[in-house]
Amino acid sequence: MTETFPLAEPIWCAGCGHFSVLSALDAAFDRLDVPRHEAMVLAGIGCSGTIQNHVTAYGYHALHGRVLPAAAGAKLANPSLTVIAAGGDGDGLAIGGGHLLHAFRTNPGITYIMMNNGTYGLTKGQASPSSQLGFHGATEGRAADPIMLGLSLPGTTFLARGYSGDAAQLATLTDAAIRHSQAGKGFAFLDVISPCVAYNDRYHNWRARLCDLDTVDGYDPRDRTAAFSLAAALEAEGKKPTGLVYEGEGLALEAALGAAPADANIDPAANMPAVRELMDSFRG
Amino acid sequence: MTASTERRIEDVNVIVSGQGGDGSLTVSTILADLLRQRGLNVYTERDVLSRIKGGVAVAGLRASRDVRFGRGDHVELVVSFDLEGIEKMVTQLAPDAVVVYDDSDVPMPAGLLPANVRLFAAPFARLAVRKLGRILYKNSIAVALATRSLGIADDDVRHGFEQRFNRLGPAILGQNLQALDLGFELAEEMGLSAGHDTVEQDGRPEGQLQITGNQAAALGFIAGGGRFFAGYPITPATEILESLEGWLPDFGGVVWQAEDELASVNMAIGAALAGVRAMTSTSGPGIALMQEGIGHAGSAEIPLVVVDCQRGGPSTGLPTKPEQSDLNMMAFGGNGDFPRIVLNPGDPGDCFELTVEALNLAERFQCPVYLALDQALSQNLATIAPFDLDAVTVDRGKRLSAEQLASMSEYRRYAFSDDGVSAYSVAGTPGGMSLVTGNERDEFGRVSTSPENRARMVEKRAQKIESARADLPRGRRTGDPGATLGLIGVGSAYGVLLEAMEELEAGGVSTRLLQPRTVFPVLDETLEFITSCERVYVVEHNATGQLAGIIAQGGGDTKRMRKVLRYDGLPLRPGDIAREIIERESL
Ligand SMILES: Cc1ncc(C[n+]2csc(CCOP(=O)(O)OP(=O)(O)O)c2C)c(N)n1
Ligand code: SF4
Ligand SMILES: [Mg+2]
Repeated sequence: MTETFPLAEPIWCAGCGHFSVLSALDAAFDRLDVPRHEAMVLAGIGCSGTIQNHVTAYGYHALHGRVLPAAAGAKLANPSLTVIAAGGDGDGLAIGGGHLLHAFRTNPGITYIMMNNGTYGLTKGQASPSSQLGFHGATEGRAADPIMLGLSLPGTTFLARGYSGDAAQLATLTDAAIRHSQAGKGFAFLDVISPCVAYNDRYHNWRARLCDLDTVDGYDPRDRTAAFSLAAALEAEGKKPTGLVYEGEGLALEAALGAAPADANIDPAANMPAVRELMDSFRG
Repeated sequence: MTASTERRIEDVNVIVSGQGGDGSLTVSTILADLLRQRGLNVYTERDVLSRIKGGVAVAGLRASRDVRFGRGDHVELVVSFDLEGIEKMVTQLAPDAVVVYDDSDVPMPAGLLPANVRLFAAPFARLAVRKLGRILYKNSIAVALATRSLGIADDDVRHGFEQRFNRLGPAILGQNLQALDLGFELAEEMGLSAGHDTVEQDGRPEGQLQITGNQAAALGFIAGGGRFFAGYPITPATEILESLEGWLPDFGGVVWQAEDELASVNMAIGAALAGVRAMTSTSGPGIALMQEGIGHAGSAEIPLVVVDCQRGGPSTGLPTKPEQSDLNMMAFGGNGDFPRIVLNPGDPGDCFELTVEALNLAERFQCPVYLALDQALSQNLATIAPFDLDAVTVDRGKRLSAEQLASMSEYRRYAFSDDGVSAYSVAGTPGGMSLVTGNERDEFGRVSTSPENRARMVEKRAQKIESARADLPRGRRTGDPGATLGLIGVGSAYGVLLEAMEELEAGGVSTRLLQPRTVFPVLDETLEFITSCERVYVVEHNATGQLAGIIAQGGGDTKRMRKVLRYDGLPLRPGDIAREIIERESL
């Protein structure tokens, strides 16, 4: 065996919600029998953006806010990879918020885990777009909910929410999200409420405010309208749904584009006859 | 016809001017085809405002026996459907120029045209409506007058129409032929003829390409094994995106129109991590947005090719006009010190070759490589020799296979090495798992702030450029090797300078030219060229002399360097350059 990089020690504060995301992800690769060299873990910038340092896989530390385009580029270039994008709420809702809209819309076959703590952990506790009203610095504007955003877009195919305080549910949802992308159905979005114990410690607060959809009688995750209604009703009470919120049918972007596995033959000998034909079409 | 009445067209410049979107510019395309069929090299220039309908749109066309990469100094024939087009053109008219003018709306004001210019004015638009029922046919009427003035036989023009309009059905072909005859009759009435027919040119090699720099770069990308392209529409780069959308899927590649340039550059980075040769293209505003991503590729050591089809800046500037004012951004932009290479093609053939080379350099040295085009080079069509496809090579540098990895006891993504280049493994390769990051990191890719490691990593990345130097594309030289006066220019300046040299020679000033094909880093050959001359004029399309500045910063002898600048949005012209240099030399 080739020795590759030794896993780094997490820099996270004891009790940080991000630990649970890491455990769920690392174990999911084993549960789903993903060979580690076929897995990519791309992370944003933030406390969350160090998760790749602790997983044996092809790890990449993207620019702040750009983890989704990088992950989509990798998947389109080699559709056989299992591509995981992970990052914070600042990363994915503020500086990179535009890309989230387009990931829902275009449905690339990647799994995106938002490690959502309602604050900018790494830069020491500023408000983020998902900060709850009343959080210092967030006195103006109400929190953005990425799942509500996903529900509002017709291209969305998978939405789930987990909670760092519920490891069993988080493991199930992580598996389901990765399976969705692996099955060629497209973009799987997993929002994880992952409290920041240093700047926005809300474990005590969240537990009472989460509604596990498994306990909701007759909830059908294929019904987008009902999912939206319930999420909106819960929001009015200051609550959020957890579990599988929505799963629809869809064709992943890489399949829609007919993307071939990496490196179709680029050897000049193989490539040049067709290039010559193309060049000849420019002869006057 | 006797030999004495035969005339060979050596070099003719035609301007067609009309309202954007009314089809008048097809006159230029039809004339270009006819002249090309007669064996001439054809160069066409677009000068279209950034909107489709309305506003004066001008197409320039040059047909010449020699290969030319720019319009000449004078215009011999103008076909204009509005007065504004002629007013813009007056100062460029050759002394015996012919002006074909549609005076349906505005009569030609007395005294506008110089005395010896011959004017042939008629209400083409009104005639077209009255006789053929559609204003569109004014264009075919005008073609007849133009071809008469160029001395192209009427039957050749009819034949050209048949080829062009046949696929639109017999009715449309018939109407256009009628319009053409109407035009011939008008020419007869007005006494317009060249006095003789021109004859076919001989000696031109068969099978020349008619291609733009953007198309050539797109073709080079595919030939060089590029298989992932992401872009966002912007003039004058869009044709690269559009060409590849049409071609790349047939080669098993992926093209994606991203939501913005931040996405396109980061998608290309992601594709590169998965081992696919990746490129993006844009113009100045997009390059500005991509700076963070390009610097990141430089830091994290990710192969990336970025095409900058430069246009008039700053900001949204002159979006459809040529300029070379992003050179500083390419050479020096971005935060921090990181290695990058800037290549500067001078014609479409160069665009092809250097795109192939850029893909190789990017993977060999794991850094961003820019291809610096400009609007004129990107969008104008030139006649050139076919590309040498047999010369295309694919060099993936120190890329590790699964077998190589299996035989290694340890793999460090950012291992130190003499040439600064570490072996790399791409996602999907067994045994090559790694950490790639733009943060400072140790050899394994783990974030590190250790001062010793930091200094070594900075030096390692810088070393890559030193290691690359010997293999960076060398410049092209022409002219009198004994001349003491040098010229330097890149991009569309190259072709214009070739012609300016002839005019300088005719004015008694002997010169030699260097077109550096690698602008950054500055190569020794450029510095030596300068010291081997008494004076060197650096000719460029920007207000501050960015190319001269880059060369000076790279060690160029500023005492010998002189700047020749243009920044009015018009293309560089050989006569202007020759005149300015002759003037400055005679001081
Ligand atoms: C372009 C850019 N702007 C700002 C920063 C500084 N920065 C680093 S992390 C961060 C916010 C991180 O918050 P979040 O994404 O929620 O991650 P968390 O630390 O909470 O896990 C910011 C603003 C940066 N790295 N790059
Ligand atoms: S600052 Fe907050 S987000 Fe960052 S590691 Fe500590 S608890 Fe986690
Ligand atoms: Mg956060």
